[in-house]
Amino acid sequence: MSLSKRAVASTFVRTFLIQGSWNYHTMLGTGFSWALLPALRRLHRDDPAAFEAAAGRHVEHFNAHPYLTGVALGAVVRLEADGERPETVSRFKTAVRGPLGSLGDQLVWAGILPLSALVGLALYWAGLRPAWVVAGFLALYNAAHLALRWWGLRTGLEAGRDVAQRLSAAGLGERATALRPWLVLATGVVAGLLLARPEGLVGAGVAWAGLGAGAFGVGLVGGHRVWRPAAVATVAVVAAISLLGVIR
Amino acid sequence: MPIVLYRIDERLIHGQVVIGWGHELRPTRFVVVDDELAGSAWEQDLYRLAVADADVEFASVDDARGRLDALRASPERTILLTRDIASMRRLGEGGTLRGVPVNLGGLHHAAGRRELLPYLFVSDADRDELERLAAAGAEVTARDLPDAHRVELAALLGG
Repeated sequence: MSLSKRAVASTFVRTFLIQGSWNYHTMLGTGFSWALLPALRRLHRDDPAAFEAAAGRHVEHFNAHPYLTGVALGAVVRLEADGERPETVSRFKTAVRGPLGSLGDQLVWAGILPLSALVGLALYWAGLRPAWVVAGFLALYNAAHLALRWWGLRTGLEAGRDVAQRLSAAGLGERATALRPWLVLATGVVAGLLLARPEGLVGAGVAWAGLGAGAFGVGLVGGHRVWRPAAVATVAVVAAISLLGVIR
Repeated sequence: MPIVLYRIDERLIHGQVVIGWGHELRPTRFVVVDDELAGSAWEQDLYRLAVADADVEFASVDDARGRLDALRASPERTILLTRDIASMRRLGEGGTLRGVPVNLGGLHHAAGRRELLPYLFVSDADRDELERLAAAGAEVTARDLPDAHRVELAALLGG
């Protein structure tokens, strides 16, 4: 069976709301099942009982990066369409959630998102009007975000159970690593612009220095709970710039 | 001590293990001990995706028990993972885990399981397995991440 374009489009749209029923018991599981409904409904057109059973099976615990969940969704649609046993489908979901989570974390939360934010900040400190800064940030971030979601769903639909080869060929982890120098560069550009601009932190004075030092302290105590190196580095940069402002 | 962590975690290799514990322990090898996974190439391919800079091996419980001494003697810094309590308990048959710290890292909600901690849900059968694992000499504690509070087994089962 191949899904109609309409069902694929409907599944894709539903991936945007997949976190809508996030909870500690099933995490993305309920949203995952809901996103599968168009495909399952089509698969089990003539058998409402089978449809309900399939939908119910997928309200199990599932977690992954939300943008990459489409890989699992697409692959599960393939597996269900190929008539795989429910245990196999469940085992597939168990195995794929970890990699999708960690690849997404590296690529999006530690890569694309901070990079887009830094580019936005750089544009702001370079003197661009705020509306353009916001538009630039949203355009950059969402170009990557939407491409990733669409690619994920297509890849899952095409590869099914063997999605591992496709994922490793796509080199998402390597791409995340390749973003790191750009993150450092963008941090440097933002720091430089901050120092150079007359309305920047250089002229901000004691209040900012105090705030920076406080943030540094919070980062030291609590930063490791989030993303230790990134959090500490960010706070350290802000604190250093603030202090420089006082010394001058 | 070349096996730097023995962990029971349904998710096996995932962010908390690779980044959270990996950052702390710097493993060079992951050994996943699971009878079904040991014979399933496509699932192994998926789990391998989560690790970029360490080896990943899969072994059945009996295989792993036979290789424990070699794993411990090897210079590789190994994180050993099982996805359920029963596999770890079987690994410890014959006293191979006597005095060894075993980490309970994550068992999710499912029908018939009760919550011990937000990341730990166990069935009655799991509780029995936990007691047997402890009776075999393993020092079982629960902790999801290295910085988190460590919960002793007695406190877990006492509630």
